[in-house]
Amino acid sequence: MADAELEVLNPSGLHARPAAAFVRASSAFAADVTVTNLTRDAARSASAKSVLGVMGLAVARGHRIRIVAEGEDADEAIASLTELVSSGLGEAIDAA
Amino acid sequence: MTSELRGTPAAPGMAVAAPWIYRAAAHAGVESMSLDEASAAAADEIGALGAQLRDAGREEEAEILDAQAMMAVDPELQAAAAELAANGASPAAAIIEAGDAVASQFEATGDEFLAARGADVRDVTARIARIMTGVPAPRLERRSVVVAADLPPSVTVELDRELLVAIALEGGSRTSHAAILSRSLGIPAVVGVSGVCDAAAAVSELGVDGDAGVIHLDPDAETSARLADAAAAAGDRVALDAGFATTTLATADGHRVACAANISEPAEAAAAFSAGADAIGLFRTEFAFAGRATAPDEATQAAAYAAVLRASAGREVIFRLADIGGDKPIAYLPLEPEANPFLGVRAIRLAERHPDLLPTQVRAILRASAEVGQRASIMAPMVADEEDLEFVQRLVADARAVVTDAPAPRVGIMVEIPSAVLLADRLAPHVEFMSIGTNDLTQYLLAADRSNAALAGRQDPLHPAVLRAIRRVVEAAAPSSCEVAVCGEMAGDPVGALVLVGLGVDELSMDPRAFGAVKRAAANRTLDELVVLAMAAQQMSTAAEVRTAVEAS
Repeated sequence: MADAELEVLNPSGLHARPAAAFVRASSAFAADVTVTNLTRDAARSASAKSVLGVMGLAVARGHRIRIVAEGEDADEAIASLTELVSSGLGEAIDAA
Repeated sequence: MTSELRGTPAAPGMAVAAPWIYRAAAHAGVESMSLDEASAAAADEIGALGAQLRDAGREEEAEILDAQAMMAVDPELQAAAAELAANGASPAAAIIEAGDAVASQFEATGDEFLAARGADVRDVTARIARIMTGVPAPRLERRSVVVAADLPPSVTVELDRELLVAIALEGGSRTSHAAILSRSLGIPAVVGVSGVCDAAAAVSELGVDGDAGVIHLDPDAETSARLADAAAAAGDRVALDAGFATTTLATADGHRVACAANISEPAEAAAAFSAGADAIGLFRTEFAFAGRATAPDEATQAAAYAAVLRASAGREVIFRLADIGGDKPIAYLPLEPEANPFLGVRAIRLAERHPDLLPTQVRAILRASAEVGQRASIMAPMVADEEDLEFVQRLVADARAVVTDAPAPRVGIMVEIPSAVLLADRLAPHVEFMSIGTNDLTQYLLAADRSNAALAGRQDPLHPAVLRAIRRVVEAAAPSSCEVAVCGEMAGDPVGALVLVGLGVDELSMDPRAFGAVKRAAANRTLDELVVLAMAAQQMSTAAEVRTAVEAS
């Protein structure tokens, strides 16, 4: 198992476009990847391979998320997703 | 007197036609396809509609459809539907119910944006159910006013544009997807019309006034005629212009002039190219600096600039270095109050007080250029003389010494200070292009402050003095390989554009909305006619005289 905690800095959080980019990336890994919005509801997690699940977490700018991966490429998945979220998921972001 | 309903005007224009009421159908039919097959087919259909919108330059709506295509095959949605089906629901009812559950959950978050995505989910599951039960896509049979509670982008795009003459919705606001899409497609629309679905079901014709936000129910002959006349008059001009928007900017005898776009945000680039731009002739980069507490760093700027280069797919993009100061103050760049900011410390003159500003920006442009693998064009504003030009060339050389993997940029200057007009023969051999900013050049040449309304009558770039200045720049550039463009508002005014073509300008850069009108104007004249007209204009006394002469010719 591997995990990471990250702050989302996209201007509108993980809305449709960044959520889609995140899900596309997660889906490339064999590992089961789940994501939790620690700021909103730490008890609820969603599959990182479901765009509806990720959007349903209502992650806004400045929210902290936790990504957990389980499976053979778990480390790789976490490293790659951490990099993707930190770089803004294809959107221009500014440090808060 | 006809009865009418009032709503919010969402997209301008008028139309009269029979109502066609769209309801997301209830699917009680028999499934002829599995849930998996139907979901995959729905994802394909939605993806194709998204691509169609992207080709038309409607990036924002295209992204909604991209996300919807992913929703159609979403594993959680599919699992929820499969479970409902296993418990006895028909597959079509199961996918609808699973979609409703997700949408309700989105709506329950209280997040306005997420709640709106709930409608997108319902739209997707309705499509899957429709495909699964073999019901054909909604189709217009004749010219229609489309009436609905709400109209998802996926349905709007799918309807026959020739038959869809107007939209009237119960829900929505001016900023809803439906409203934005109607405006960008030029379909008259009124939104927030309560009771319109029921009212439309009881009448045979609807008149839509998208300017006033009124729906006329079974309009009488007089109202119909009024709406039809207004639609025809506006439509004739707009349709004629629109027919030219994506053509080549050329005179009747085939003299070509580059048609470029002025943009102020990266997101405008794709739309500009779809609208018929040959290049981005002026990318105002102030957006990167405005509305922030601190200066944007190199990487942030580079990401924004790379997006525009990518959208250009190899066509030229001219980045104008930040023109800050004057009337455009920025919070984190404290500027001394000045009595005459337009004659003050603005644009490249800021370098002394803020030495990092321009080097950072030039490096960011080069990094974007290296990343995309496309040459950038860099344009310096407010260049007065050779000393200013040397400063700019040093700036570019220093940045290239740091960012070594970028293709060599094209370097050019704005010509807006009268001294640059007088020195154009000295500047032209050292730059690859000069772009004349006619707004500032006019105010400087005629000593008439742009921000002073009392002098508005003295702001006309058709003034013979301005025309002579432009001609002087064209002649000074001719012996070098330096191109001459005009990127002021004059280039987007059909009368101004005709004179500029006659003066021998190589490129006109304007708001993309002006492409159609400018191209149509040019296509009706020969180059010889315009050269003669431009020569005569330089001998006239006033701007008004020039305008009258061009319009009468």
